Order: sequence, then structure tokens, then C-alpha cells
Amino acid sequence: MGTVEDDRGVGRISGALSGPEVPPPRRRSDPVRTVVRTIGEILITAGLVVLLFVVYEVYVTDVISAGKQRDVTTALDDQWKTDAEDPQRVDHFEGLKPGEGFAKMYIPTFGADFHFTIVEGTTEQALEVGPGHYTDTAYPGEPGNFAVAGHRVGKGSPFNDIDLINPCDAIIVETKRSWFVYRMLPEKADKANWAATKAKNPLCANVNPLGAPYSDLVGQEIVTPNQGTVIAPVPHHPEVAPSVGQQAALMTLTTCHPRFEARQRLIVHAVLDHQIPKDQLPSGQPPAEMKES
Amino acid sequence: MYAWIWRHLPGPLAVRIGTAALLVLGVLALLMFVVFPWAEPKLPFNNVTTTQ
Repeated sequence: MGTVEDDRGVGRISGALSGPEVPPPRRRSDPVRTVVRTIGEILITAGLVVLLFVVYEVYVTDVISAGKQRDVTTALDDQWKTDAEDPQRVDHFEGLKPGEGFAKMYIPTFGADFHFTIVEGTTEQALEVGPGHYTDTAYPGEPGNFAVAGHRVGKGSPFNDIDLINPCDAIIVETKRSWFVYRMLPEKADKANWAATKAKNPLCANVNPLGAPYSDLVGQEIVTPNQGTVIAPVPHHPEVAPSVGQQAALMTLTTCHPRFEARQRLIVHAVLDHQIPKDQLPSGQPPAEMKES
Repeated sequence: MYAWIWRHLPGPLAVRIGTAALLVLGVLALLMFVVFPWAEPKLPFNNVTTTQ
């Protein structure tokens, strides 16, 4: 700004030299100085770009994902409405396209505004829309492990606070036909004294430490990213394959841990408490469990 | 670098300020909508799934 390093500037200054109080002309640009200054400017710019990336990750992706989540929720609502006359009383999930919404999830502990449409698949694109269902795992209510991944920071942060879910807290999954009430399993520390302590809580009526082959299953755990067996039908025991009738209906949430990092994975396991067919409730009314907090 | 850009902006001061602001906004948009979405999957901040 107002520098006199180019020839035009120098000419102008020398023309004004007649006045006695004019400062001596600035030195012609010194190449060392220019190089050092440019390096400094580039470094400052790089720092700003990194800061901007943080803003992008934490805020801008939220806005983009909120739009995509809204679109997929609208599409799912429309689909549920138009198929209302379908005589079949059961949900079917076959033929879902990647990124297509098929269920909604609610965690009443997090308040009435916590609701996300779960989409099929766990690709980057799918998870930008909302929590994504691991394609080769069970579907809501089915025996096996209904496993869902979600972002912790940015992209709507659906699973930002899942470390705050307590044992017996409800994780409610809504499908076209049913409400499925899952409840988080006992944590490791609570398991030993479960019957004497938490089991007295009315919410825990159907939540008990599961027997073999699930005996080492806990409600919350932190694992390394390569422990894919947490989403197996019997978590941590992919080699155990009980017949479908003997499988518990589990739900598993996975997200990154610690926050802002991806060194580990935070895992929450829940078990199906009960199912409420939608036609047993007054039309459009959510179950009473939605009011738990 | 920035001084060089400023010197090469044409017009009077007001126009230069306007052009500079436009340039900044353009760079911001380029970063937010092109560069960051491209770079993000390559960085390890947001892997939430487990693998075998």
C-alpha cells in the first residue's frame, strides 16, 4: 500500500525532492527482504487455511448435512405415507439403495429434538446424510446386531454425545410398521451388582447382563478401529453363530473416539426391550417411552 | 505477495477495496466448497466405522 518500490513510484518521489522535509527515498526492494516477507505471508496464510478447515469441519458440514438429512427424512415420510395401504403388516428392508433412509432413531435422554433418519450403508456419502446402517448386519427388531455408525463431530454430529447414554436408557427406532425400544446394556462396572442395584430401576425391567455366549458384552466400550467384531451378531465372537432363534436382538452404535480424533472407536451396545406395532397406538402417536428423559 | 496483489489492483481506492473483498470471498468459497470437501476424506479425523 503506497509503496514506492516500482519505477513509477521512484520517479514520483524524486520529483518531489525539492521540499526540504521530504524523507530520504526508501531503499529499492531488497530481494532477501522480499523472499523473507513472502515466506512469512505464505505461512500466515497456511495457518488461516488450517483454521478455516476446522470451521468447515465443525460448522459448515453441519449445515450441509442438515439439508441432506431433511431431504432424506421427507423422502422417508412420503414413502411411509404412500405405502400406508400396503396390506402386509411387517417391515421389509430388502432392496434398499445406498444412502436411502429406512428408519428413524430417537434417544429420549437427549431431548425431543434428537431424531435422525438412518440411511443404508456406511460410506462417506451415506454418513454425510445421517447415521448409517452397516449393510451386512441385522435390521431393526431382527435377531442379530443392528449396527449403526454416525459422525461425532461435524456432519450433523448425530453421535456426538453417545458416551452420555446410561444403562437402560432407551434408544428408539421407528420403522414404517413399528417402534422398537432398545435399551443400553449394563456397563462393565455395574454388571457384578446388577441385580442388587440398577435392576431395581423400572426402566431396567427387561435389561439384564446377557448370558452365554454374550457374557462379556457390556453397554459401552472403547476399541481400536480394527475391532470390526463389535458389530458381529455376537459382538467380539464372530466365530460363535447361534441359530437365529437363539440370537439376541441387539443394536450397536459406533463413532470415533476421542472427539476430533479417530484413534479409537466408541461403541454402545443395546438390547431390544420391546416392540410396539404402530397399529396398536392411536394413529401418529409416539410411544410413551419417547417421553423418558 | 499481498502487497504485490494490492499494487496490481486497478482503479481508485474504493474499487480496490471492493475487488480485494471479492477476491477474499472467492478464495473462501473455493476452499469451502471445493478444496475442503476433496481433502476431508483423505484426512483421519472422521472415521467412525470399524473394519475387520
